[in-house]
Amino acid sequence: MLNINSNRSAGRAATVRMCVFAALIVLSLTVSGQAVAKVKVVATLADLAWIAEQVGGDDVEVSFLCKGHRDPHFLPAKPSLARKLKKADLLVYNGLELEIGWLPLLLDAARNPRIRPGQQGELNCALALGEGEILEVPVGEVDRSQGDIHPLGNPHYLLDPRKGIAVGRLMADRLARIDPAAADRYRSRAEHLAREIESRMEDWEAQVDSLAVKKVIVYHQHWEYLVEWLGLEILGVIENRPGISPAPRHVEGLIELGRLQGPVLVIAATWDHIEAAGRVAEKTGSALVVLPGSTYATEEAAGYLDMFEVICGKLETAEETAEETGAEGGS
Amino acid sequence: MLVPARTLFLLMILSGLPALASAQSSTLTGASRSMNPAISVNGLIRGQTSRENPTGDLNGFKLDGVELQFISVVDPFWKANFNIGMHPAHAHDGEEDGHDEGMVVHVEEGYIDGQSLPGGLGLRVGKFALPFGKHAPLHMHQFPFSDAPVVIAAFIGDHIFSDTGALGTVTVPVPWYADFRIYGVNGDTMPFDAHNKNLVGGGRLTNLWDMTEDSTLELSGSYLHGPDARHPGENKSVDMYGADLTWKWVSSARTRGPALHMTVEAVLPDYEEGEGDPWGWYGLVQYRFHRNWWAGLAAGQADAGLDHHEEVPGHEDHDHGLEGDLREYKVNFTFVPSEFSSLRAEMVYYQDKVTMEDDLRFIVQANFTIGSHPAHLY
Repeated sequence: MLNINSNRSAGRAATVRMCVFAALIVLSLTVSGQAVAKVKVVATLADLAWIAEQVGGDDVEVSFLCKGHRDPHFLPAKPSLARKLKKADLLVYNGLELEIGWLPLLLDAARNPRIRPGQQGELNCALALGEGEILEVPVGEVDRSQGDIHPLGNPHYLLDPRKGIAVGRLMADRLARIDPAAADRYRSRAEHLAREIESRMEDWEAQVDSLAVKKVIVYHQHWEYLVEWLGLEILGVIENRPGISPAPRHVEGLIELGRLQGPVLVIAATWDHIEAAGRVAEKTGSALVVLPGSTYATEEAAGYLDMFEVICGKLETAEETAEETGAEGGS
Repeated sequence: MLVPARTLFLLMILSGLPALASAQSSTLTGASRSMNPAISVNGLIRGQTSRENPTGDLNGFKLDGVELQFISVVDPFWKANFNIGMHPAHAHDGEEDGHDEGMVVHVEEGYIDGQSLPGGLGLRVGKFALPFGKHAPLHMHQFPFSDAPVVIAAFIGDHIFSDTGALGTVTVPVPWYADFRIYGVNGDTMPFDAHNKNLVGGGRLTNLWDMTEDSTLELSGSYLHGPDARHPGENKSVDMYGADLTWKWVSSARTRGPALHMTVEAVLPDYEEGEGDPWGWYGLVQYRFHRNWWAGLAAGQADAGLDHHEEVPGHEDHDHGLEGDLREYKVNFTFVPSEFSSLRAEMVYYQDKVTMEDDLRFIVQANFTIGSHPAHLY
């Protein structure tokens, strides 16, 4: 009997030990799981995704909806994109109604209350812009005779790297609220990103400052922030009413203006109607510069900073072509 | 002296009492215009010539439809969508006939969507488009051709298939996108017996795969069950089966670049009482060949599945719905100068293979939208 009891005691002890061991494993897995739980960030645009990756580092998991080579005005609201939003802890979007055609649909389809408007998990990055920093805010009555105009102003502010710095800081603040344990890391990374952008900006500004050709004709009102930052001047817009194919009379007038005030550079994004922009360039004796309108729009634009590297490099190269073409046209 | 109630009511109006009562029950946000819903109006204007003009009213211009839409968040829990449709009367829906150019007003949709349900569940309550197939839930201004395919018109109805009840949606946990929608509705609309109190129930499983960055494939199946309108008051039922396949390709490299959409859909009604094996299908292709231009081709069939065209004995008074074998062939070109307007020119040939009656129609249609109209689902 004693032996039997002794065996029973030993058995119970072994069972208890196993239970404790199992509990410890479960506990350690839980704790380690919590330690590696990352904030799931979904960005609408590639630029915002890149900034979120820099600010979030290893503390976040970033995906984005609109690939860099797509025109962000016209993203098809595919259900697979709503699926990405379904598990998001934080949605970061451009705002100023750039995504108005597709983001509300995706938000409804995602049925994720964490990222609904007004929630902590919803971040309109246009809030990073200070008073007066939003360009082309319509004055007076707005209607669709002016095309698919943005009533809140030009939304393409991410083409000014200074705005990228502000957006990085805004993201850091929001991530710090969602994940307070890593707040210092987010803010530190945002400052590091700001310093990196500022150091590169000097080179880019100097590169464009040396250009002799400062006037540009753009296909869409996509480049206003870039032009303002770099001190260029927009002579005209080919697609003068956003989202509407330009009327031939308008294009002829623009060509005439380009001829009179040239040499100019004609700028289009990779997704624009390149042929139409090319015709304007050809008839004004200007160079056509097809630029990445977003991070990842081309292979070379493999990051937000690389995008500016490519843009400034292409403007510099194009100017040489423009001067040569202009000289040939003049002779 | 007793004051008549009507006089009292008039005195209240004159004294402004209702306004005072309203103001007292109002909230601050109730007075803010920023809380107004998004409002839009869509209009469809049609000009048509029909060679045979079988109903006598097909030739000429008409206002084909007007849709007034209101969308807004209600509160943290609900979002509402109301869509009021006006269109010429449809005789087959028991409406006044369209010969007097009268318009009929319908609440096409009026529902609220739950915004904060647990587990990502969706709940819709009200009158809504039933998720049966690809075409039946469309509003008229979303039609890829001027009229609904004959299979949809014959078995379901020629405008939006909506009814009142509740719908639940759940995302199916599979590696691709899949959602399942299940609903119960009153059955107040064709093809159901509105006087029968039995509910209509149905569901739809949608599967969608991203084949490439630019293309998707959707394969879906739909089912519904309800009282059969062809036998009013007799408690006969109909089961409706649907399957659809859609492939979409849109060039992502260019704004308004080339795009190609192809859809095939089949509908099989199974009536508890009825002769034949009715079924039908349509297929369509739409191609954007220029930034502002689309071309479309479509063919379809709605077959009653009867061996010969004759009355079913003992049921002479019943509306049997489709009795022939209708075929349709369509071609159109659509000019889309902006997101808010389009002009369409279309040629349609109809033929009934049983009676050998046919018709050739030419249609021009203008489609425009004003106000704040939401983008359409993918």
